[in-house]
Amino acid sequence: MNMPSLLRLHASAVVALSVILSGCTANRYEAPASSFRDKTQQTINVLGSFYSSRNSYEIDVYLQSIAADSSLPVQTVDSKGVPTPLGKPVFSPASIKARLDALNVVGIYANRLYDLANTSAPSKFQSAATTLGQNLSSLDKTFQTLQGASDPTANKYIGPISSLVGTIGEMYLDRKRDELVTKAVTEGAPQVEVILSQVRDDMDKIFSLEIISGSNEKLATLIFAYNNDRTKLNYEQRMVRLSEIKAAANELAASVGSAPTALVTSMMDAHKALVLEATSPAKSKINNLAALNSALEQWTAQIQSLSTEIKTLIH
Amino acid sequence: MIKVDTTTLSSIISQCFAYSSDGRLSADQQATLLADGKRLRGLLLNLLSAQFDGGTQAVLAANKQLTTINTELANSATALANTAKTLNDVASLVGNLDKLLNVTKSFV
Repeated sequence: MNMPSLLRLHASAVVALSVILSGCTANRYEAPASSFRDKTQQTINVLGSFYSSRNSYEIDVYLQSIAADSSLPVQTVDSKGVPTPLGKPVFSPASIKARLDALNVVGIYANRLYDLANTSAPSKFQSAATTLGQNLSSLDKTFQTLQGASDPTANKYIGPISSLVGTIGEMYLDRKRDELVTKAVTEGAPQVEVILSQVRDDMDKIFSLEIISGSNEKLATLIFAYNNDRTKLNYEQRMVRLSEIKAAANELAASVGSAPTALVTSMMDAHKALVLEATSPAKSKINNLAALNSALEQWTAQIQSLSTEIKTLIH
Repeated sequence: MIKVDTTTLSSIISQCFAYSSDGRLSADQQATLLADGKRLRGLLLNLLSAQFDGGTQAVLAANKQLTTINTELANSATALANTAKTLNDVASLVGNLDKLLNVTKSFV
């Protein structure tokens, strides 16, 4: 074979290999980034519904207690001057909204990772990222107004959100997709982990106790009312009441498992696997990609099973 | 800053509600424990987010009382054998936690 033919063959092989490698590179992130984005949004939707329903849940607990005892009037303030859940929300609406907004920032981060792994329109992404950065900066201001006596734990969200806003704002696409995803994950991941850790702490230390004690109260109230009223009830009425007791017992069983905490934990595990895949050396990427896919599958299973449990806790 | 041991308080609340449907107690005793459980839960919802200056004696004393009563209630044989004491101890806890809300530093 003569030299020019060899050179042409070599050049063609290099071009073909470049095409294959660039295709492999894009394909490697496309599926997990897509899955991560979708699972993040599903998780955020479930957790968002849970957060949003806290005050409604407390009103239900209060009204059920009133229903069980005909001597109790409905009040907005009780005889000791303490507001009831009807008179004042148990959980500050501003604090609930701020936590929902923090979750949404994580959702935007996941969307942007997906865009980085998939988009072929650098200029469109650049302008979209700039607009996004401007919109997200208002979230930072929300937490700063909550800072201090009214909401001490808001302090813990401010730093990571500010940093994450900066990272997302800087995300723009160039032709080196791998490097960009790695950079975005490296810079954004610590803030995402802090936010999700805060959410998990909220679930563990505040809402888990709220739900468990609330479920216990509802069950105890229904049992007490049934035992008091049973001689005055006919069979059908007794069956209705007993069905309510059974439903309350099921809700209590679901509450003990702390499904919201478990859901956040599975999301954090998948995110850690994503970070490991994005930041690991080339020779480790295949193994870490397998671990990432496994974590994403476990997260999928958790979303499906835990969402059902969480729905029983949403009123 | 320190906080009330809300995990132990939640456990006490659960036990109060459990005893409120325990056939070994009289109807009146069950009613008392149901009412105390509800009051304690109302206090819990406020104390979940309350913070106090470090070293606040009332909080330290309350946390100690929470541990004692939680242990007492967990031992059903003893709790049922000394029902009057059990009910008094729970009522005392309600009163002490009520007073705590007046000295809280801030709410989350």
